This record gives sequence, structure tokens and C-alpha cells, in this order.
Amino acid sequence: MLKVQDLHKTFGNIRALAGCSFELERGHMLGFLGPNGAGKTTAMRIIFRLIRPDSGLVTWDGEPIEPDDLLRFGYMPEQRGLYPKMRAGDQLTYLGRLHGMSKTDARASAESWLDRFGLSDRVGDPVESLSHGNQQRVQLAAALVHDPTLLVLDEPLSGLDPIAVETMSDVLREQAASGKAVVFSSHQLDLVEDLCEEVAIINAGEVVVTGKVEALKDAAPIRHLELEVDGGDPAALVAFLDGVQSTKADGERLTAIIDADADVRGFIAHAQETGKLRHFAYTTPSLSDLFREAVK
Amino acid sequence: MTGLAALWQVALRELTERARSKAYLLTTGLTILIVLGLIVIPNFFGGGTDESIVGSVGEGNDDIISTAVELGNANDEPDDPPSIAIETVDFDDRDTALEALDDGEVDAVLVDGGEIVLRSVGGFGGNSFISGFQRAAGTVQIQSVIEEQGQEAADIVEILTTEPLETTTLSEGDPEESESRTAVAYFGLLLLYLAVLLYGTWILTGVTEEKANRVVEVLLSSVRPWQILGGKILGIGLLAMVQLLSTIAVAVIALRVTQAFDLPPIEIGSVLNLLLWFVLGFLIFAVLFGAAGSLVSRTEDANTIAMPMSMTAVVGFFVSITALNDPDGIVAVIFTFIPVTSPFVVPVRSALEAIPAWQYLAALAITITAIVILTGLAGRIYAGGLLRYGGRVKLREAWKSAAE
Repeated sequence: MLKVQDLHKTFGNIRALAGCSFELERGHMLGFLGPNGAGKTTAMRIIFRLIRPDSGLVTWDGEPIEPDDLLRFGYMPEQRGLYPKMRAGDQLTYLGRLHGMSKTDARASAESWLDRFGLSDRVGDPVESLSHGNQQRVQLAAALVHDPTLLVLDEPLSGLDPIAVETMSDVLREQAASGKAVVFSSHQLDLVEDLCEEVAIINAGEVVVTGKVEALKDAAPIRHLELEVDGGDPAALVAFLDGVQSTKADGERLTAIIDADADVRGFIAHAQETGKLRHFAYTTPSLSDLFREAVK
Repeated sequence: MTGLAALWQVALRELTERARSKAYLLTTGLTILIVLGLIVIPNFFGGGTDESIVGSVGEGNDDIISTAVELGNANDEPDDPPSIAIETVDFDDRDTALEALDDGEVDAVLVDGGEIVLRSVGGFGGNSFISGFQRAAGTVQIQSVIEEQGQEAADIVEILTTEPLETTTLSEGDPEESESRTAVAYFGLLLLYLAVLLYGTWILTGVTEEKANRVVEVLLSSVRPWQILGGKILGIGLLAMVQLLSTIAVAVIALRVTQAFDLPPIEIGSVLNLLLWFVLGFLIFAVLFGAAGSLVSRTEDANTIAMPMSMTAVVGFFVSITALNDPDGIVAVIFTFIPVTSPFVVPVRSALEAIPAWQYLAALAITITAIVILTGLAGRIYAGGLLRYGGRVKLREAWKSAAE
């Protein structure tokens, strides 16, 4: 289990981390969310001992992370980096060997990952000759080639076309399902909601929300309401409800963020009396709603 | 995986990727070609007979000319073509002869066996011409004096062209061996200088490139900075050795085949001594170049940051030239104890047998200690510099931000 405990880090005058904590168990996938500059990359670099925190601790299975542990971790940095002139297959084999694999194992794993990403015919091509999306695939393969138990991926899905996103998502799901701990950062909240059971939301260096997505939604102080009314004005109807935080009209449909403890039963009864209700949905908020709430 | 295994993997990558690169194959091939050319081509042009035409005015020139030819060819092997040949053209008076000289019809004019006229004195050719004829004229005079006294003087040329004195020195070992040691030291000095500038730059740009294309963050997530830096130095060092040794081997073979000049017998002790200091010198500069490379993010900035090291190598080179001329001098002694210059100075002084044992051992200890300390410092600067992008990282920042 990965445990990130109360990390603090300042660079000169810039406070990069001010209380960053989250946990991740094997077999689970965590979405690490936050606005640009919130401290995601710094936290990930601290896990890999690339940066020393001013205070706080990162443990793996209860022990502080030692250099040897890193050989069982896989990292995809935000700053993509591969040797441009080195062949894709050689590059992955090399990285596998750096993580302690034998030559044959590393080669076999490199080729199987390239095959998995549809690049089996590009094994002998220099990385610089691959398209941006394919370089990104090789980069992900570089994090996976040594079959790590912990995967840390910084924005693995950014800049990919929808098909590539699907392949990547499948791979990440499989990795978690096979017992790996997977943490990745992303700005594509819908995707994260789709992929992850757990999230940690960081804002200004501090993790402000962490836990299972469903539990967070249930515990959220807000609810999502959707209304369509036959021939009437949904805004007028909603005005009957106490605790409406915001409304947004989208054609005939009105969506509203309301307090979780608003009297929805009373509202439904009232609406049914007027007899004009065509569409009604009352749901927990989306991850995007939670995110906006957390970082505002 | 042990630390050294990862280091070796890094070295192996440098070896295979660079050895495969066109740049490496091209520079190796070109260097060998240039060395071959330098040895073989003069052999084609310089091997034959040096022919010249001399204008003769008045009496007493023929003896001098024939003696000059005799002296010039005295050391030729019997089967070889003669080294020099002189054709004589007679002129009636001085003015016509000088006109012909001015027009380039003749190379020199001899007047009445007592004057030699050339177009100009510049260049080596003119001077050897003069000295050849001066020697010939002197010989002719001695010959005539001896003949006047009724002696047989036919073998005077033979006497003049043999070495009358055998050379020995006070130091141990024969002079030929010490000459060989000096040659090896001088040669090694030149090689170290070239290797530091050339391969040091490879290490520098190699480090900067890894930083520029951001691969270093992937590497550092599994390998420690000293393993990357060490592996890079080892890999590039081995490649450098291959390139240097193959060039030297080609040069030695070419020299043996063409016999362009006599190779002194190589003394194995001086070669080993040289190799030791070569490796130490290369290491100390490699570590410095590697640390410097981690401070810049773009290859364009690499040249600027190489300046201090390149200048140090230049200083080391010139100091050791000084040491070659004055191996016991104060300059040579001082720079013996400065770690970055001692690899240049010590081999020269020990080749000339002008370094006391305690100085040699002290220099060795200082250099090795310096390498160990510098590796630690450079490793930390390297670790601190690698993940800082943007402009040039200040030394102090790199030092402070290093993780361990």
C-alpha cells in the first residue's frame, strides 16, 4: 500500500505542497486531480525520491521508500522523455534492464507491450520517427515494461485521440485488476470518474478531498437536479424549493445544484400536483461538480 | 540489481548507441584516414631525388658542386635513388647568370668558387642549400690543403659524414631508451589534451541531451545519479579508448610499413605509466564535464559551460610543454601537485626522470583523492541540476536542491 503522509515542500518563495496526503491500496486506481500548479507533479516526484520533501513521508507497505523499491515502481513523468534516436524496442529493453530484468525478459516484455499498443512493426524504428500519439504509447510502455507493482502516471491521457484514450484506459483497468496500485493525474474528469473508484483532489498544495468517488458523492453537501416541464416554466417551479444554489437552463431542461438536505419529497409532491412534470432526475453530484466545489 | 550492474547497463547503452551512430563511425574513419594521410603522403613526395639546377660562373665551381652531391648522398642506402642531384649550367658572366636565376631557370648561382647567389634566403630550402654548399666549399678547401702537403685525401668525405662522438648520459639506462620515454610522454600528453577536449565534450553534451529531451526523469525514477554519470563516463571512456587505440595502431603499422621515420623502441614501463595518468586525467575532466552538463538545459548552452574545463586543459598542456623544457623548474613542481594539471605534468617529468619518488606518489594520491571528492561533489550537482529546467542553473542552486 502506498501512503503519502502530509508532504510539505517550498521552492524558494513558492509553496508547492502544504499538506499532501492520500493512500492507495494494491488493486485500486486513484485519480489524482487538481488545477494546474496545484502540486501534483511535485508530489509524484517525491514518491520517486527525485525531490526531497521539507517534511512528510511516503511509505510503501509501511516502510519508507528506498532506492531499491523504485525498481518495482513505474513512472510516466509529465515531461515526456525518451532517447529520440534510439529504437523503440531497444529503448524499452534498456529501461527494463535498468529495473533489473534479464536481457531476454526485458526484450520479450518490450516487444509484447509494443505489440499491445499496435506498434509491433515499429520495434526497430527510432522513437523520433513515431507520431506524437505513438511516442506517448511507447512512453506508457516504458512505465510498464518491468511489470511494476505501483504505477504513477502524470497526465497519461493528455493529447491522445479518443481511440488511444480507450486503449490506455483498458490497460490501466487491467493493471489495477491484476493487483497493481495505479495512480494517475488527469484533467479529463469524466474519464477519471469512469476509471477510478478513488480520487484525491489537491488544491494549492493541499489535498482537500480524498476517498471513494461514490462515498464522496453521497457525502457531498449538494445534489444535482434536472427538470423538464410540459408547457410551463421550470424556473418558476424550482423557485418553490428551498436551498437552490444555482440553476442553468439548457433549452427546455433546467439543471440545478441544490443543498443535499433540501426537501425534495415536498418538491416532488408539489410538482405532481401541478401535473406538468415531463422529466425529473435527482442525483448525487458528478465528479466535475465535486472538483469545482473542492478547488473554488 | 546492484549499483554497479545498473552503471554497467548505462555504459553499455552509451557503447552500443554511440558505436552505431554515423557520427562516431565517421569521426573514427576520418581520424584514421587523416593519420594515414599524414604518414603516407609525404612518403610519396619526399621519397625521391631532390633535383636542382645550379648556374656556374668562372672557375673553381665544379669541385664544390661534386663534393656537395657526394656529401648529400653519403648516407644513402646503396639500392635507393640518390637524395640529391645537381645539374650544372655554365654562364659566361655574372649578369647573365643572375638574369637566369631571376627567371627561375636555375635555383642558385656559384661565382668563381667563392660566392653563392640565391633568389632569397627565406624558407628552409634556401638555408639547407646554403649549408650544403658551405660544407662542400669547406671540404674542398681542406682537401686542397691536405693535397698540397702531399697526402692522400680521398676519404675526407667519409670522415665528415660519420658520427665521431658516441652519446652517453649520467642517468641510468641508455639514451635511446630515455629518448623513447620522452617521445611516449610527449605523445601521451598530446593525446590526453585531445581526449579531454573531444571526449569531455561528448560527456558534456550527452548529459545535456538527456536533460534536454527529458529522458533523465525516467532514468532517475529507477537509477541513481552517480550510476548514470558513472556509466556515461565509463561508456564514453571505453569508446574513446577504442577510437584512440585503433588510430594509434593504424599509425604505428603505417610507420612500420612506410618507414617514414624511425620509431624508437617503445619502453613498456613508460607506456603503462602514461596509461595510468591518461586514465586519471580523463576521469577527473570527465567528472567535471558531466557535472557542468547537468547545469544547462539546451545543447546550445553546452559550449559556454565547457569553457572553464577547456581552459584548464589548455593550461595543463602548456604547463607540461614548459615541464618538457625545464622538468625541475618551479612551474613544473607547482603544477605537479594541482589535481587537474598533474595528469599533464607528471608523465612528462617522470619520462625525463626529473621527478622525485615522493612527488610522484604525492601527486598520485592528490589526484586520486581529488577524483573521489569531485565525483561526490559532481554527483550532487548533477542530481540537483538535472531536474531544473529553463536557463542555466547556478551551481549553488543545484547544490542546494540535490535530494541527497
